[in-house]
Amino acid sequence: MLETIQMEYYLILSAVLFTIGTIGVLTRRNAIIIFMSLELMLNAVNLSLVAFSSYYGDSAGQIFVFFIMALAAAEAAVGLAIILSLFRLKKTVYVDEVNIFKW
Amino acid sequence: MFEQDIINKFVTNVGESIQLMQPEVALLITFVLALVFDLIFKKTRSIAGYVAILGFIVTGFLLCTADSANAGGFAQMVAIDPFSNFFKLIILLASLIVVVMSLFSKELYTESRTLGEYYSLIAGMTLAMFLLSSSNNLIMMYLSIEMMSLSSYVLAGYTKEIKRASEASLKYVIYGAISSGIMIYGISLIFGLTGTLNLYEINSFLANADINLWALLVPTLMIIAGIGYKISIVPFHFWTPDVYEGAPVTITALLSVASKAAGFAMLIRFIKVGFVDSMFGGDFWAVLHLDWQHIIALLSVLTMTLGNLVALWQTNVKRLLAYSSIAHAGYMLMGLTVMNDAGVAAVLIYFFVYLFMNLGAFFFVLLIANKTGSEDIEDYQGLGYKAPAISVCMVIFLVSLTGLPPTAGFIGKLYIFTALLQNPDFIWLAVVGVINSVISLAFYVKVFRNMYLRKVDEAKETFKFSIPSIVLMFALAIPTLLFGIYFSPIVNWAEQSVGIFLR
Amino acid sequence: MEDLLFYLFAFVVIGSASVVVLSKNIMYSAFSLLFTFFGVAGLYVLLFADFVALTQIMVYIGGILVLIIFGVLLTTKITGVDIKSGTTGKVQLITASVVVVIIAISLILLFTNVEWVNQEFVQPNTTIDSIGFAFMTKYLLPFEIAAVLLLIALVGATLIARRK
Repeated sequence: MLETIQMEYYLILSAVLFTIGTIGVLTRRNAIIIFMSLELMLNAVNLSLVAFSSYYGDSAGQIFVFFIMALAAAEAAVGLAIILSLFRLKKTVYVDEVNIFKW
Repeated sequence: MFEQDIINKFVTNVGESIQLMQPEVALLITFVLALVFDLIFKKTRSIAGYVAILGFIVTGFLLCTADSANAGGFAQMVAIDPFSNFFKLIILLASLIVVVMSLFSKELYTESRTLGEYYSLIAGMTLAMFLLSSSNNLIMMYLSIEMMSLSSYVLAGYTKEIKRASEASLKYVIYGAISSGIMIYGISLIFGLTGTLNLYEINSFLANADINLWALLVPTLMIIAGIGYKISIVPFHFWTPDVYEGAPVTITALLSVASKAAGFAMLIRFIKVGFVDSMFGGDFWAVLHLDWQHIIALLSVLTMTLGNLVALWQTNVKRLLAYSSIAHAGYMLMGLTVMNDAGVAAVLIYFFVYLFMNLGAFFFVLLIANKTGSEDIEDYQGLGYKAPAISVCMVIFLVSLTGLPPTAGFIGKLYIFTALLQNPDFIWLAVVGVINSVISLAFYVKVFRNMYLRKVDEAKETFKFSIPSIVLMFALAIPTLLFGIYFSPIVNWAEQSVGIFLR
Repeated sequence: MEDLLFYLFAFVVIGSASVVVLSKNIMYSAFSLLFTFFGVAGLYVLLFADFVALTQIMVYIGGILVLIIFGVLLTTKITGVDIKSGTTGKVQLITASVVVVIIAISLILLFTNVEWVNQEFVQPNTTIDSIGFAFMTKYLLPFEIAAVLLLIALVGATLIARRK
């Protein structure tokens, strides 16, 4: 099993996923899409952790993944609640338009 | 049979660890009780605040009376050592003062706002910062950073009907989530490189194995970026002014002192336990053959210079204090640059001093905002005559923040510079620090000038403040003066607290 | 066979992730996120992390994705056609591309130059057993802290989201 698929393959896949997430975070203005891109970044982290964990035979990586999942859910809940309350005030979810601050 | 043994051994370990972690348990109980009492006594809005104050006092008692333990708990997840106790006491004092400050805040006590969650979330955040300052494992570190951040996201947007608070909260949560995403990617790479998440094991692995240093640099920088976000080091500071300006004043004060202290505690422990080669008693920083000291020195120069320069043209006092707190993070990083015992002790002394002067300055902003509803520097005109007592205190805080002699701020800076001067390579850094202090004088004087030296046209109306608020103000101002003159107990205490638990 | 599955899942993950990030329509983004999550779950199965794969489906798809879709529905007026999600100006694109190139290069350099600790794949017997054991012994404290954290998130989210 898995003789041909090296661990690097998973790592590179996770790096690509992380980079895609970063692009989303940096270029999109819609706060909800930014949150989706963040989930992509977290999935990339989870993927690399599970890959390390499986190839090293150490369950610590998988344990960490569970904590990250719990935190991702908590963060998404709080983040979306904040987006919702701001939407009620300003009727926008665009981060650029959320701008009464400057330097 | 084998598993039975492990479980038995572990049960005894849990029992011992709980003994060590009594303050944390007390905080957890405070958090839950504050929530429950708020549900039972709906009529009294401050009930959760009183519960929190009581809980913090009990926690402080437990923290001070605990034996000076130096041990790891919960299978080396946390370390209970003098170093973490020092930071815990600072965090606890800051949270206690902030809760008391909140009782005076008009901004929070508008009609129809419930405040039970506010006080219980502060208790929860304090628990997170306690854990952060003693966590020894990257999982614990990540969990407690996230727990601290989640509560601070909510607290920053607590006055949610005010637009700028909601916006600050949104910016905070988005950038915070990005930075923690970057940080855990770094953690996962560290796990891949070393095969462990425990800081001690990382250290011993790095000491023994031949490892690609560039490979280690990337994840380490990622983790430092994540922690740097929390303590607002340039270039990860960009959220600070907005959040500090938008959040309620009390939360700004809490973020600028307590969560910065927790972040520094973690940064020092991460670098010192994880990477400094302590096990061989050899050269510090030896594990990574990289010039870490200069990387930190560079960050420190950037942080203080940017903080001080941008503060020069701020007109909102909260925003000005935000940049000033960025600059102070830069001064503290200077102490970290040398990373020997003297440097760490200097950072500890600085934090103790910073606690009083910064909270005091924010309390002044809060009291004035209660009366005038404004945080603009223009509206501070003539305050020296309208509110003489607390203005004198504010002057003490400003002098201390600048770092001039008869105040405690001077002592903090003095010890940082002394630690730097012991190392001839870093004299230039001390010079930069002094120049920065001079720059900072300019904007602190601006506040002072508005308070005293500008003409007031209006009639001589005076502001009246309640006795307890003036008492709290003096309780912050007197230590700021006192520790400028009589500082040897603090110095001794800090020097005894540099001991980080090493396995 | 496994090779084929790996490439299939990798293709699904990268393709749908790109749609999430690049799509102009926010609902397309939300639904292609579903495929990313499924693809990653499939990769977990290939790595013999069966329990993680199950949790991935339950938490990410059953929880987070539903939450995000609710967020989309609550913040766009359903009557209005304006469900587009904006992209950004040139300045941000340039900085973004610079940052992304730096990240990508450093990661690729890292992955190609490093000798990883161990390459032998060990096929574990069951993962649930060892995970449960670890949670209740070595990782007991983080486990309990995660519970407190979820309570904080619960209190905070309801507080912020409720109307008054």
